[in-house]
Amino acid sequence: MTEPGTSGVSGLYRGVWKGAPLLLLGVVAALPHVYSGAYFIRLLFVTLVWLTTSVAWNILGGFAGQVSFGFAVFYGLGAYTTALLLNSGMNRASCLLLGACVAAFASLLIGLPTFRLKGPYFAIATIGVSEAVRVVMTNLPFTGGASGYRIIEKGAFHQLLHFYFALGLAGVAVIVSMLVQRSKFGLALVAIHEDEEAAADLGVNPFRAKLLAHALGAALTGMAGGVYAGYAAFIYPGGVFAFDISVHILLMPIIGGVGTVWGPVIGSVVNGAVHEELVASFPQLHLLLYGSLLILIILFEPGGVLGLLGKASRVLARARSAGGSHS
Amino acid sequence: MAAILRIERLTKYFAGLAAVKEVSFELQEGGLYGLIGPNGAGKTTLLSIVAGSLRPTSGAVFFQGRDLTGAKPFQAVRAGIVRTHQIPRPFRALSVLANVEVGVKFGGKQKSAGDGENGMGVLERVGLGRAASMPAAELSLGDQKRLELARALGARPRLLLCDEVCSGLTEKETTSVLGLLCDIRRAGTTILYVEHNLKAIMSVCDHVIVMNYGEKLAEGPPEKMQNDPAVIEAYIGKAESI
Repeated sequence: MTEPGTSGVSGLYRGVWKGAPLLLLGVVAALPHVYSGAYFIRLLFVTLVWLTTSVAWNILGGFAGQVSFGFAVFYGLGAYTTALLLNSGMNRASCLLLGACVAAFASLLIGLPTFRLKGPYFAIATIGVSEAVRVVMTNLPFTGGASGYRIIEKGAFHQLLHFYFALGLAGVAVIVSMLVQRSKFGLALVAIHEDEEAAADLGVNPFRAKLLAHALGAALTGMAGGVYAGYAAFIYPGGVFAFDISVHILLMPIIGGVGTVWGPVIGSVVNGAVHEELVASFPQLHLLLYGSLLILIILFEPGGVLGLLGKASRVLARARSAGGSHS
Repeated sequence: MAAILRIERLTKYFAGLAAVKEVSFELQEGGLYGLIGPNGAGKTTLLSIVAGSLRPTSGAVFFQGRDLTGAKPFQAVRAGIVRTHQIPRPFRALSVLANVEVGVKFGGKQKSAGDGENGMGVLERVGLGRAASMPAAELSLGDQKRLELARALGARPRLLLCDEVCSGLTEKETTSVLGLLCDIRRAGTTILYVEHNLKAIMSVCDHVIVMNYGEKLAEGPPEKMQNDPAVIEAYIGKAESI
């Protein structure tokens, strides 16, 4: 059985584990000061924006198991709302919050009809809605239609300011995700994921829970879109409302480990590390590579990177305990 | 005693076929009722309507005097009606305790069966205390059936709808689950127990409702139902034809 002192060590281990997120936040916050290349900071910024969307998608797609291909809608609405309001002279934080509200409101409008559908039918419906919104935005005159919309910068451009907005938002997203996982609401989402009817038979209101998860994910994704718009200063429907964005948002949590707090974080870091390189090296092929990766993950390790790590640590523990019994 | 559940001329059609046809009955508070009938008699359909999983084509469901016809399942649960499933439907990725917590956290607020508010207490009660931290997917069929009951109890039912809690169990397991039903009933929860195993029903119920081809055939005390010619015919065919 366990050796004396093991519990003390595992207690310490747990303590370190609990402090790890804060440490990680500190390290990332310090990174631009250690390595201050503009390209590097841009890469960090983009990764943090993707991280937020990945964690946000996971609340609905991971915890509740409702796979949406339509998160670009919220990303784009957040981006456009923020851009329009920034140009009207509002301060950045209020613009982002209002962007979140618009995205959350849109998620309710989309969720009310589509959550009556189950599984693949829900997924297909979200593709349809998302494409429809993109077409509408492409033809909307007051946002410049297909040619896009430009933010008029009033002050000098501070790359680090944008970086810290993105970092703060990513931190908020992870905290929200942790709180959801530990809450009564989170339990309802997992129960719905497992068996929606059985959950309803125990008093869970699945429709309401899914709408809430959708709104929460949409609000965070909308803010991510807003942070991105503020940085890019130019947005167009073919960019922020693209189907590509939706696919990307759902790929990251799947790569990292769907339905967990840290899987989507890991997935977005992997994506941040390889995405730009992939697009630069294989401009035509990168989507094919992503597609193949997705198939491999779903076939062999639905738990993603986290699932693989878990398996590896179990194998190691078994090897160690086998070694211990021999000695 | 007051009727806790009253159903009036409940009817459910599936694509022109009547699964339940003009069924009416009343359950008195605190009773253990059996609902029997051959396969396809409409027992589970009736139970699903009362639990809110299915909408009746016509007819009405009154619970504690309130009209609950067409209520959603979660509304029925919060009013105090909780069902179990014939084929257990555990949340496989969750621990046994977390399964029960879903019922505890989302069930009604009413007093029931004296279970307290505690998921662990409910597990001890059904004899699953030792398995609390196990993933529900790893339970044996017998224990999964107990978990169905535990989850339902966690949601604090005033009326418990049990769908064949004993099918697929060994005789020993059956006896212990039936004992559990009697305990729950003694603690004050009314039970409607759907079963096609006659022996199980006859041993615990004080009143039996018999269905056949979607219609109510007869109801009364179990001894009487056992000797009712119409019931015998429904189960094993006409006397002459044997």
